[in-house]
Amino acid sequence: MRLVNRRLVMKIGAATVAGALVNLRVLGRKAAPVQAQTAFQRAVFDERFAECRAFAAELNGAGVLTSAILGDVAKLWYYDLRGHLSKDPTPLAGLTDRPALFCLEELARDVSMRVIARVDHIMDPDEDQNRHAQHTAVGPVSLVAATRQLTTQPGFGRTMARLLVGCAGRTSPEKPDTGREACATDGSAQKRTGPFAPQNKVALVSWIIA
Amino acid sequence: MVLPPNVSEADFSRALGEFRSAVGASWVFSSDEDVALYRDSYSIYWGEPEERVASAAVAPAKVEEVQQIVRVANRYGIPLYPISTGRNLTYGGSAPNMRGSVVVDLKRMNRILEVDEKRAFALVEPGVSYFDLYHYIQERNLKLMLDVPDPGWGSPMGNSLDHGAGYTLAAFRDHFSSHCGMEVVTPDGDVIRTGMGAVPNSDSWQDFHYGAGPNVDGLFAQSNFGIVTKMGFWLMPMPEAFLSGTVTAPRHRDLDALVQEVSYLEDLGLTGMPQYGSPIAQASFGPGAGAMASLMQNGWPSTEAVERFVTAQKLPAWSVQLYFYGPEETVRATWQATKRRFGKAIAGATFQDGEFLTLPIPREKEPTQSDKPRLGIPSLEVFNMVARNPQTADDPSDGHADLFVTIPRKASALWESSRILFEAHREAGMPARQNPFSTPFTYYSRCFWTGTTVPTWRDPAKNARSRALFQTVMDRCAEHGWVSYRTNPAFQDLLVSKYSFNNNSLLRFQEKLKDGIDPNGIIAPGRYGIWPAKMRKNRA
Repeated sequence: MRLVNRRLVMKIGAATVAGALVNLRVLGRKAAPVQAQTAFQRAVFDERFAECRAFAAELNGAGVLTSAILGDVAKLWYYDLRGHLSKDPTPLAGLTDRPALFCLEELARDVSMRVIARVDHIMDPDEDQNRHAQHTAVGPVSLVAATRQLTTQPGFGRTMARLLVGCAGRTSPEKPDTGREACATDGSAQKRTGPFAPQNKVALVSWIIA
Repeated sequence: MVLPPNVSEADFSRALGEFRSAVGASWVFSSDEDVALYRDSYSIYWGEPEERVASAAVAPAKVEEVQQIVRVANRYGIPLYPISTGRNLTYGGSAPNMRGSVVVDLKRMNRILEVDEKRAFALVEPGVSYFDLYHYIQERNLKLMLDVPDPGWGSPMGNSLDHGAGYTLAAFRDHFSSHCGMEVVTPDGDVIRTGMGAVPNSDSWQDFHYGAGPNVDGLFAQSNFGIVTKMGFWLMPMPEAFLSGTVTAPRHRDLDALVQEVSYLEDLGLTGMPQYGSPIAQASFGPGAGAMASLMQNGWPSTEAVERFVTAQKLPAWSVQLYFYGPEETVRATWQATKRRFGKAIAGATFQDGEFLTLPIPREKEPTQSDKPRLGIPSLEVFNMVARNPQTADDPSDGHADLFVTIPRKASALWESSRILFEAHREAGMPARQNPFSTPFTYYSRCFWTGTTVPTWRDPAKNARSRALFQTVMDRCAEHGWVSYRTNPAFQDLLVSKYSFNNNSLLRFQEKLKDGIDPNGIIAPGRYGIWPAKMRKNRA
């Protein structure tokens, strides 16, 4: 059951990313929230960061139940997610900082789930409109491709929500990326980094655990 | 797929089938992606042939299933590596001690079997985390306090068996010392209970830890003589109050008196884990960085130079935070007595009142409560605190391998060990963090630990440098009789080689036990240097 879910979300995710990539240029930031059926019903965001709040707002519009954290994922995991995922290991998405994903990735072993896609966003520390972000994706090739289209300007939280949202219906499997970043189905998105961030930077990560 | 050493693919396949029969097909993990979940996230051999990766994992739900797994492993000669939660990352995490081992993941054995409020103990299975036990106690409003490590995502059993420690009173923060009774599946598939647990119908298993005859509990910590499936722990009755206070000492040479006074409180059980600090060292992470660099630029300074430096900095050389648990009248009186004693022993000592709390902490205040581990509240906040590591600047490491050595509880030992660590880093061509204001760790009340955290990476070249640093530091410290009390699996052979009295007679004795208890060598071969006879050539 777990493997079926994981493969399914990979297929769904691939279709979603492809769709989101097409839509990126026409939707813009003021587009209507995504209404599509998603491959995940729950998402985690760190409410300390504007990009994460925007990510959650977009997913709320898509009917995804979002859970806020303030850095520490422990309470959410032990007293909520773990119980649900051990019974029904459906995919989980998020936009958090690196330590939160690091912890969730370790904890997800308890329910035999793993990180299948991640996009690291390394940002300047100042919380203003001029901060720059660099994005690096590992996962489905179309996610990697879509990430390359992201600008360095603020506002990627909503876009990442759209990229991660799943739309059922497209099921063609993806081919591995022949570039530096391999397809996530080979496990390359697993355990990419530790919890540490470069000095004087903010390291956020968009991710899917399935 | 990685295979266990000296096991054919066909035999391994048959063994996996028998594991599936024992625990159910969905609880045997052998695909690459599932086995990768057990990789050590902080591995100092990441991606190299020496990385200790599993061949498979199996997750039993009850002790009878553990027995069956052990019997299958004996039939096929398959090494097993048991983990409880497997989250002690700097010491190997969930990865096995030897490449190709099958991880026995005890996460499904997660029952809290008993918590007795009046007798203040808990009996738990391996998969019970500190969070689980804390939640259990909280939900029932039991007047008990846990002693938790930081981060708190491990298990009482795993932390105890690895000689981990916490933050409260000495009687509780030595987690192995505060255990009482265990149940163990031995390598031949038998089940034993230690202490009073060996007496049928005994109702004092968690009250008296010795029983009669040799106490064998220690054989199952940091070792490979069995798989522990139940363990009892003594808990602290919930104190009525918590009070903290800080003492500063003005001169560098005051450390000796400071240590003496702190040790007096510790040995009487009057303070929780003291937190030594140095306002001067703290300033060196900010505006005082240049001054400290100047002090250290020509090597380790003389005591006279250090004392002149202290005077120039206009900051106290040392501080110590103390933590008192008990009735309000007692903690306030102890703090008053502390001020009196320290004031008499150290001219110019200053005192700052800290936080006073009535316990337990109300649930609504818990999220914003500081110092959670000292209040027995498990947390993962430490990951946020360390996420920006000033030591790694623009090139953050991916993890660390901790190297702490045990030294006597005295100022002169701290000075000398800090100097040796400083020079060992320089010898290895790595930046040294140590300086004359380095402070000790006091997890174990009767000794100091000092040491370093060696960075680990996803980059093999950088890991090679880190391993060289680790070896240099361990070698130099051992020349002075200072060695670690635990270490990453990559260095366990090196570590036990330092316990070399009488031609390593301690290790030779442990090997005799291993050969008798586990003749097929199936339980965690090589853990803490104890290899079965057929694998002793594997020793690093």
